[in-house]
Amino acid sequence: MSRYLDSEGVEFDEPARTGGRVVPVYALTGGRTRSGGRDMPVESLVTATGSDIRDLRMEYRTTVDLAAHPVSIVEIGAALRVPVGVARVLVGDLVDTGYLDIHLPPTVGEGGPTPEILERLLEGLRAR
Amino acid sequence: MHVEQGALIPLKVLVAGGFGVGKTTFVRALSEIPPLLTEQAMTTASIGVDDADAVPGKSTTTVAMDFGRITVDEQLILYLFGTPGQARFWFMWDELARGAVGAVVLVDLRRVDDCFPAIDYFESRRLPFVVAVNRFPGSDGFDDDLVRDALALAGNTPLVWMDARDPVSSLAALVALVEHALARTAVAH
Repeated sequence: MSRYLDSEGVEFDEPARTGGRVVPVYALTGGRTRSGGRDMPVESLVTATGSDIRDLRMEYRTTVDLAAHPVSIVEIGAALRVPVGVARVLVGDLVDTGYLDIHLPPTVGEGGPTPEILERLLEGLRAR
Repeated sequence: MHVEQGALIPLKVLVAGGFGVGKTTFVRALSEIPPLLTEQAMTTASIGVDDADAVPGKSTTTVAMDFGRITVDEQLILYLFGTPGQARFWFMWDELARGAVGAVVLVDLRRVDDCFPAIDYFESRRLPFVVAVNRFPGSDGFDDDLVRDALALAGNTPLVWMDARDPVSSLAALVALVEHALARTAVAH
């Protein structure tokens, strides 16, 4: 039995998937739901390193292709139509094997971004 | 913290509030990409008591969360996450709240109670937040003091009035949050 809840917590039918999943999502990751215990928040950005991806499995190639421009783990999950936990595992494998560079959020301990980064954010938003 | 020249910096803001308060509308007004849905599998344990039908080990619940993206400059990319409002989704908030710039709590004055879980959550986690009253019909007869009283807001928590359908108005609410977060870091240091 599967249930789907939208962001308001309301139940909905499984979303129609153009193309659909060809294999169960957790088969993509060998049943793993975490990647080596590494802390990679969903907004972490990845970029392709330029390594030759011809030998990679399809879902890995697609992930590296998406990272031709900076893209986050959560966007990769949405693009591949897999739960974000699965996207995190795929990204972790590709970082470990040198196909992707990862850019983690700039947190200070348990806190948020530094004042310098917040100032830049403010400047950028005000300029819009 | 050392920031490499040219390094990419992901940031995030949570958009919270009760059912139907305009979270998706707000994300859509600001995002440069069509708001996307991300799925997160809930474990049976985190579903809690309101899922009495769950068969242990056999049931999965997938929560979809909408999100948007703002490329702020060549290094900073800001993500907006519309988060489910109910307390039973706090397991998702905990991950999202860690390292966040802060949160925009949307309020519909016809149903103020709906935003209390979000306000309590961000106050207890000491995450900067602003309260943004989404102007639905019938919200005109209220002023700041009335709303602050109704929400028992701390004096330094910004209160803004906005229309989530309007990108300019939504951006102003976001700017108010970042100003508040910045002011908080100035106090902390």
